[in-house]
Amino acid sequence: MWNWDYTLLILPQILEALKITVSATFVAFAVALVVGLILTLARRSDFKPLSLFAQGFIEFVRSTPLLVQLYFIFYVLPEHGLSLSPFIAGVMGLGLHYSTYLSEVYRGGIESIPPGQWEAAKALNFTPLETWRKIILPQSIPPVIPVMGNYLITMFKETPVLSAITLVEIMQTAKMLGSHSFRYLEAFTIVGVLFLVLSYSSSLMVRRLEVRLNLR
Amino acid sequence: MSVPLKVIYNEESTKSIGNDLRKVAVQPIVNYSNISKSYGDLQVLRNIDLDIAPGEKVALIGPSGSGKTTLARLLMTLEEPTSGTIEVDGEMLWHQKTNGKLVKANEKHLHKVRGNIGMVFQHFNLFPHMTILRNVMEAPRNVLGLSKEEAMERAVTMLKQVGLANKIDAYPAQLSGGQKQRVAIARALVMRPKVMIFDEPTSALDPELVGEVLEVIKAIAAEGEMAMLLITHEMDFARDVADRILFFDQGRIIEQGSPKRIFNNPESERLQTFLSRFNRH
Amino acid sequence: MWFDILPSFWEGAKITIQLTLFSAVIAFFLAFLAGFGRLSKIKAVRFLAATYVEIFRGTSLFVQLFWIYFALPLFGIMLPKMLAGVLALSLNAGAYGSEIVRSTIISVPKGQTEAAIALNMTPWQRTWLVILPQALVMMLPAFGNLIIEMLKGTALVSLVTLADLTFVATVLNSSIMRPTEIFSVLLVIYFVISLPFTRGIRWIEHRLSAGRY
Repeated sequence: MWNWDYTLLILPQILEALKITVSATFVAFAVALVVGLILTLARRSDFKPLSLFAQGFIEFVRSTPLLVQLYFIFYVLPEHGLSLSPFIAGVMGLGLHYSTYLSEVYRGGIESIPPGQWEAAKALNFTPLETWRKIILPQSIPPVIPVMGNYLITMFKETPVLSAITLVEIMQTAKMLGSHSFRYLEAFTIVGVLFLVLSYSSSLMVRRLEVRLNLR
Repeated sequence: MSVPLKVIYNEESTKSIGNDLRKVAVQPIVNYSNISKSYGDLQVLRNIDLDIAPGEKVALIGPSGSGKTTLARLLMTLEEPTSGTIEVDGEMLWHQKTNGKLVKANEKHLHKVRGNIGMVFQHFNLFPHMTILRNVMEAPRNVLGLSKEEAMERAVTMLKQVGLANKIDAYPAQLSGGQKQRVAIARALVMRPKVMIFDEPTSALDPELVGEVLEVIKAIAAEGEMAMLLITHEMDFARDVADRILFFDQGRIIEQGSPKRIFNNPESERLQTFLSRFNRH
Repeated sequence: MWFDILPSFWEGAKITIQLTLFSAVIAFFLAFLAGFGRLSKIKAVRFLAATYVEIFRGTSLFVQLFWIYFALPLFGIMLPKMLAGVLALSLNAGAYGSEIVRSTIISVPKGQTEAAIALNMTPWQRTWLVILPQALVMMLPAFGNLIIEMLKGTALVSLVTLADLTFVATVLNSSIMRPTEIFSVLLVIYFVISLPFTRGIRWIEHRLSAGRY
């Protein structure tokens, strides 16, 4: 049933495609980190329309499927003159989707700062920008780094969805190999095991990081 | 039961046992025999021997971390002794005989013996999702198997006794600390245990609420039949209620005797130091 | 205009909602089974539960769905699309749900169990009368979020050609080529379906923070 010769034959091709998966993960994570922070700040803004927009955006994106969002970016934007490669469309979609989750993470970190810190910054006559850069963010981000690490792993596991907009990452490679030989078992199992091993070992690393941060 | 009768020594007069009887042979309701308890390298109880007579009120005093609470928790089966045995009403608590051999008690055995004991906790531990009435009714109904009507009647009587009959439909979060503790006392009493443990019942209360809880406990003690193990930092209360006082330090009973003896003529230096901290104010 | 395409989505919406609800019921059941399994006194049960949870959290729904639909037939197990979809969704969500169950149960203060022991309740009574009622209330918002994640996850079944909302949209798009309207309407439909859940969660969270706890 399981064919080891075939497994060894396709393994190098799948591993090769892992590069695309990993780079898509990291680029999308960078997008999520930046957009997530912007969303958090926009949500806290005193300018009502901006904070309402951020809130609505977060709720809408979090309640609709990533796959449909990817279709939207990949099929709708070209209608309006913006054609994107599968990679760019993919990391944009994945990044925007998870930016809404990361904005919650930032928010949690910021809200855990005691009010006395804001008051102290005011007493020292810091500008708002200085307060954020020097007082609030440096204190609110380190404690939430493990949570961010977990989202990085989640995003890594979600990358197969990008195959739906024809990005040739490991899942797409496995699908192509499978449809070629009519054998899906080996290809999909390799993909599953790869994800399991990589995400499980990374989550152990995050857990260790968490313990270290708690000890401090 | 083949348990030998224990001899309880009462150096002086007690409330439950006559003045002229220095030695009284009764079967103790609780017997700790060579009990030790360790957490890893930390030994919190060292070879404790202790008998409590039926109806006797025993107060445990001593610095925090001296092992008083652990002694009580072993009796409530919340923690297991490292070595030694405990008997309740002549029956082994943590051990049972299977085919003539003494083995660790199973849950069924614990369930049987534990029914003799009740406990009031420092932090009340009321069930937040139940009304006051249900907090008090739940165990009679489900553990004792009483009918709903019987359980309710018992619960209401008990709540009247602690002065909270008007709060039966409230939730714990709506009560003051003193009221919560009175409900907790009713909840434990309604099971009619033979031994009641009070583990620092007023330590978590605001000072102005301590009195109402102590009054309730004193009233229960005055009724007499139930043995009590009181862990407390309220020295006046211990003096008023207890038949016997045990002074604990570093996992040992350093000194014991009647309240009068302990407070008026403390023998050991450690007890003298301990008491001097209370006398200063 | 965009509303002429709306009726086409009706059949797809039924499939999507069915998938979500069926899977949610099974996932809920699995979550309790595995959640309690991980807290079991028996080592083998703990190990089994942990293995299930780690496997289904360590890979994504996408991979699980494709494996069940395309790789299982090689073992002679051919599942209909709907069943494959429900199986993948519920196994995946069950693993996440078990963490909700486990973490809320251990977050009930230890004093509650101790009080139940002091009242001589049996282990069964401690769980059913004291621990679970308190844990369940804390679980509700998290389970609400999980259902939304499941609703979003259903879109993936379109890739194994089960005719859900997303599948209907892609087929419609390939015939009439109006992506802007079709995909905008599709997003809004998902959002509308999720609304009762997001509002429900918010209502419960509000009650919890204001209520008697």
